[in-house]
Amino acid sequence: MPLYKAPLRDMRFCLYELMDGDALTELPGYEEFGRDLVDPVLEEAAKLCEEVLFPVNRSGDEEGCAYENGVVRTPKGFKEAYDQFRDGGWTSIACDPAYGGQGLPFAVDTLITEMICSSNLSFGMYPGLSHGAYVSLSGYGSEELKAKYLPRMVEGVWSGTMCLTEPHCGTDLGLLRTAAVPNGDGSYAITGTKIFISAGEHDLTENIVHLVLARIQGAPKGVKGISLFLVPKYLVKDDGSLGARNGAVCGSIEHKMGIKASATAVLNFDGATGWLIGEPGKGLNAMFAMMNTERLAVGMQGLGLAEVSRQNSVLYARDRIQGRSISGTKAPDKAADPILVHPDVRRMLLTQRAYIEGCRALGQWVATSLDIAKHHPDAMKRQEADDLVFLLTPIVKAFMTDVGSEVTNLGVQVFGGHGFIREHGQEQYVRDARITQIYEGTNGVQALDLVGRKMPAHAGRYLRRFFHPVQAWIEANMENEALAEFVQPLAKAFVRLQQATGQIARVGMAKPDEAGAASVDYLRLFGLTALAYLWGRMVEVSLPKIGTDEDDGFYAAKVATARFYMERLLPETGWRFSNIMAGGKSIMAFPDDAF
Amino acid sequence: MSISPIKKVAVIGAGVMGAGIAAHVANSGTPVVLLDIVPPNLPEGGDRSAIAKGAVEKLLKADPAAFMSKAAAKLVTPGNIEDDIGLLADCDWIVEAIIERLDLKQSLYAKIDAVRKPGSAVSSNTSTIPLDKLVAGLSDAFAADFLVTHFFNPPRYMRLLEVVAGAKTRPEAVSAVSRFADHRLGKSVVACKDRPGFIANRLGVMWLQAAVVEAFDLGVAIEDADAIIGRPFGIPKTGVFGLLDLVGLDLMPHVNASLAGALPAEDMFHAMNRPAPLIERMIKDGYTGRKGKGGFYRLNREKGKVKEAIDLATGDYRTQRKADVPALGDAGRSLGKLLDHDSLHGRYAWNVMGRTLAYAALLVGDAADEVDAIDEAMRLGYNWKKGPFELIDEIGVDGFVARLEKAGLPVAPILRTAAGKSFYRIENGRRQCLGLDGAWRDVVRPEGVLMLADIKLSAQPILKNGSASLWDIGDGVVCFEFTSKMNALDPDIIALLGKSIALVKKSYKAMVVYNEGSQFSVGANLGLALFAANIAAWPEIENLVASGQATYKALRYAPFPTVAAPSGMALGGGCEILMHCSAIQAHAETYTGLVEVGVGLLPGWGGCKELLRRWTAHGRLPKGPMPVVGKVFEMISTAQVAKSAAEAKEMMIMAPTDGITMNRYRLLADAKAKALSMVEGYAPPEAPTFVLPGATARSGLNMAVAGFARLGKATPHDVVVSDEVAGVLSGGDTDVTTPVTEDRLYELEREGFMRLVRTPGSLARVEHMLETGKPLRN
Repeated sequence: MPLYKAPLRDMRFCLYELMDGDALTELPGYEEFGRDLVDPVLEEAAKLCEEVLFPVNRSGDEEGCAYENGVVRTPKGFKEAYDQFRDGGWTSIACDPAYGGQGLPFAVDTLITEMICSSNLSFGMYPGLSHGAYVSLSGYGSEELKAKYLPRMVEGVWSGTMCLTEPHCGTDLGLLRTAAVPNGDGSYAITGTKIFISAGEHDLTENIVHLVLARIQGAPKGVKGISLFLVPKYLVKDDGSLGARNGAVCGSIEHKMGIKASATAVLNFDGATGWLIGEPGKGLNAMFAMMNTERLAVGMQGLGLAEVSRQNSVLYARDRIQGRSISGTKAPDKAADPILVHPDVRRMLLTQRAYIEGCRALGQWVATSLDIAKHHPDAMKRQEADDLVFLLTPIVKAFMTDVGSEVTNLGVQVFGGHGFIREHGQEQYVRDARITQIYEGTNGVQALDLVGRKMPAHAGRYLRRFFHPVQAWIEANMENEALAEFVQPLAKAFVRLQQATGQIARVGMAKPDEAGAASVDYLRLFGLTALAYLWGRMVEVSLPKIGTDEDDGFYAAKVATARFYMERLLPETGWRFSNIMAGGKSIMAFPDDAF
Repeated sequence: MSISPIKKVAVIGAGVMGAGIAAHVANSGTPVVLLDIVPPNLPEGGDRSAIAKGAVEKLLKADPAAFMSKAAAKLVTPGNIEDDIGLLADCDWIVEAIIERLDLKQSLYAKIDAVRKPGSAVSSNTSTIPLDKLVAGLSDAFAADFLVTHFFNPPRYMRLLEVVAGAKTRPEAVSAVSRFADHRLGKSVVACKDRPGFIANRLGVMWLQAAVVEAFDLGVAIEDADAIIGRPFGIPKTGVFGLLDLVGLDLMPHVNASLAGALPAEDMFHAMNRPAPLIERMIKDGYTGRKGKGGFYRLNREKGKVKEAIDLATGDYRTQRKADVPALGDAGRSLGKLLDHDSLHGRYAWNVMGRTLAYAALLVGDAADEVDAIDEAMRLGYNWKKGPFELIDEIGVDGFVARLEKAGLPVAPILRTAAGKSFYRIENGRRQCLGLDGAWRDVVRPEGVLMLADIKLSAQPILKNGSASLWDIGDGVVCFEFTSKMNALDPDIIALLGKSIALVKKSYKAMVVYNEGSQFSVGANLGLALFAANIAAWPEIENLVASGQATYKALRYAPFPTVAAPSGMALGGGCEILMHCSAIQAHAETYTGLVEVGVGLLPGWGGCKELLRRWTAHGRLPKGPMPVVGKVFEMISTAQVAKSAAEAKEMMIMAPTDGITMNRYRLLADAKAKALSMVEGYAPPEAPTFVLPGATARSGLNMAVAGFARLGKATPHDVVVSDEVAGVLSGGDTDVTTPVTEDRLYELEREGFMRLVRTPGSLARVEHMLETGKPLRN
């Protein structure tokens, strides 16, 4: 049976030691979020995830969701878990106090998101989608709509969805056909079919608030003609109570590779009543407000799955005895040595650890920046932070979910044949992780976003928010002997990243296919370099604490993991760089017919 | 009797055109008399020359400037026609630019004829009255010296001069005036027939009317109209309604009426000359365009500077919107697809441009003998990038004729002649145009004109990369040409310049730095620099600065003469390259200066060093190092730009020995001649050393800037940038007892530049300039 223990020690390290979590209280609106409040919240969240959500993870995967006559039933125990989740106020932690939320900083919320994803990703989809809908609605909805819907969504009594995809249109939203016809009373009649709608139908909440992209009659073709609508499952009366069933019905649910306890619905809208969110034709703006926070959250899903897989890998490697160490017996009292002694098993465990702790730091950097972007009193600081979040969003999404996939696969490998057996739980994480590389914009699309949008914007201004602090850190620590073994590999990777960036900017301007062909390697190179920088900073924080009263072995392990990262993982930047500099000719010149 | 070369000119009539012509004659360095009438009802003791004097005052304040320098203004002698008519006696050319009334003009001609010296040329700037009517009843001797010289407004800037010779006009009179207009006034002279509106206005007014009438008829929004009848056809982006706002709505009814009155009944123009009640009302209410309360567009200040556009259907102003013309996207760059587009906008494009081009073809043999005269008139009189026949070539002659026939529009004989052909072709490296007789003839440049565009027709560059080319322009001289976007300077240009210098050393005699872009160079490619700065590629940036310095230095000390020949903007690095050549031969309309502080940087390619050297060598300043440093600091820290080549001389960007060419077409030939004149015995300059005041001067300059900052005239980042500029100009950590080498100044520039490029304030300035085209005042 798998286990999960929230990694609170490392989370606190990221929040308070690597980032300046204590300074969050200086931001307007965050005054009360000192350690005295945040620490207990994290501990409570850990408890909930370990004791309530985690126990129904594997059973939920085995059972899956059930569909019958338009009704979807979540697996056994989900409803009870959700009730506890909601009653504990966890649906409202990251929401605006104006609508009954608790206004928790993103830096803290991000850690809780990771725990939820570790313990039960399928479960996390339901409140996760609600939160996405909350972001769009609170950012773009009319006061009337917000007053009517947000408090119940924040409370968790109602949930939300985001309805984008149609059978013929996924990445290219310009193709979408769902139609909106004005009813004459300010509402619209929405007709069309949406697929792949996570949390599109279920039995956890009283009502479901669908946010639906559709085209108002006569609107122009392409993305300019798309508007966003609020379409509730049950119409809401003026007094807030539920009225008639709306014409939005679940036609079926998908049978999937992973996240089987998350209901993925086909939704049929048949003249369903909906209300416009924001301006006509500006639907994508409202949608992207959600999409950006969701992409960060998906990155955390990758991290969460990696973490739980790693924990079980370590337990197994300590416990499982098999063969003897090739350098001599390590556990003479046992019939064989624990597999932990074998170099390749150690390599796998360290790979997991180095990626995970690096990604956690990366997530924390972006989340803290998001807090600054939303709350800092100085407009310049807000813009700088916002730029960094824009830049790193595709990297968090794609790099961290790729890492999730790699690490969970290693988790199966450490288990050997038992990893392939369902009962041990490791294979579920591989299957669950697979979707995170696909939804909310495939990782290929994330890479295109990075080179096509984020890189050239404002002649590279977003890049400045990353390159300048990294360059400054390298310069400041170049002469630091204790850090030399970390600074030098970082500096090397950083120069590669600079050169690759310059190359793509130059060549990609004239030949977009070249930028496209380089994009995935470039995103990986960027992510690896970002992690190297964060590892460097983690070492900078940790070194002075080794051997002090604070030290519990944690810091020495940090430094040792950093060393592994620099020596064994960061060199991947070399071949990524070679790929980029080789150009896209071998890819693009291949005849289409020969595929 | 031969006509003497023109040494003195008179202009009679000190209205907008007359005064502008006088100012421009003065710009050529020629003395000019400007006369107007004695003010009516003048009180006792009042100034009888007040009108002409007032006109000169207005000229001095004109924007864009009418004079190229203050010295030019002193060449204008204002007077009145009653007391000062005797001043015409020694004038070689007398230009009449008074009100368009035949009787007044003719009585003036009689007065002129009584005092003018024999053989002097007399011309009228009339735009509407036929020449034969103007000279009717006057002596044959007068008629023999008389012609029409039709300038365009503003006379300094518009390069077209339409010249009409009458039946009796002596060719010598025409050639003397044309020659002066070409060489001294820088005009491109187009010979026109004595037909109403000559060429440019005849066609231009037809075009404007068609665009207005069709917009009303079809119900096209004016923003869309300007987007269609603008850029896609190579017409300035002001389009039609924007242009009418500029010239003044009130002018149009007069121009239309006089053209209509003079043209035969069957002329196509009449169908387009319909009254527009809305425009009449606008004129009556004072909405005459930019000079009035607003025009088709206006800035609504009551609403807080909201840009508004008029709705042609209702006559009400509404918020200006972006043009929305899907047809343009569908058509891509194909004019044919745009004209055929099955949409309101496609029909509008055809109705306006189809008609205009059909009319242009009808003018061949009527207003002009050659198609290229009509093209040149529209290019220079209306700033079209392509003339009407170049546009027809682009559409395709046969396709165009087929469309005309389908639309029931007249097909001019020249279009039949051109069936299956085009109006222009390149044959044996020469550009040829089709004559009315169907024969091809070379497009001939005026004597002595040398154009790179012509050289390119039959030659390949000696060296070339993505941003620059090197051409052999004959007689052992090469031309280094920038070819990048806006001629922005980038590493490719610097690299090719270095290669070129090495090549010329071995195989040629001299180098000219010249190009035929609308701007010589807007300076360094900021986009590249900003991107490099954003990714903290500091070594790359420093290398760009250092290699630019090294290459410019190599240019300066090359063992052969180098002549820079700028026209238009030569800013920042584009100014620095001028100052590193052996000599400059500038087009009169050259706008140059070291503007780096506008983007938070300092001149890093030897600009600081060169200005110090030039002011030390040539400036008439008090003795000691401080006045020079102060002067150069003022120029660089306020990003001063010369508004003409004459001003560039005043600012010492150009040396006293540098030359100015008035005619854009003659610039390359003049630069080449200058280069060749320097070849014999050429020795590169000695490296200068500088005596500079050091840190005390820096703090003195900083105190001055701090004072401006307190007054709100300098921004916080200005203080940062100025300090670095002061640091370079004062010579760093030197003092007056230690001479500073040129290399040390290059080094100081580089260091200051590298410090500035790392500041967020400077990066914000660069970004703002790139995105808005305007300086950020942070």
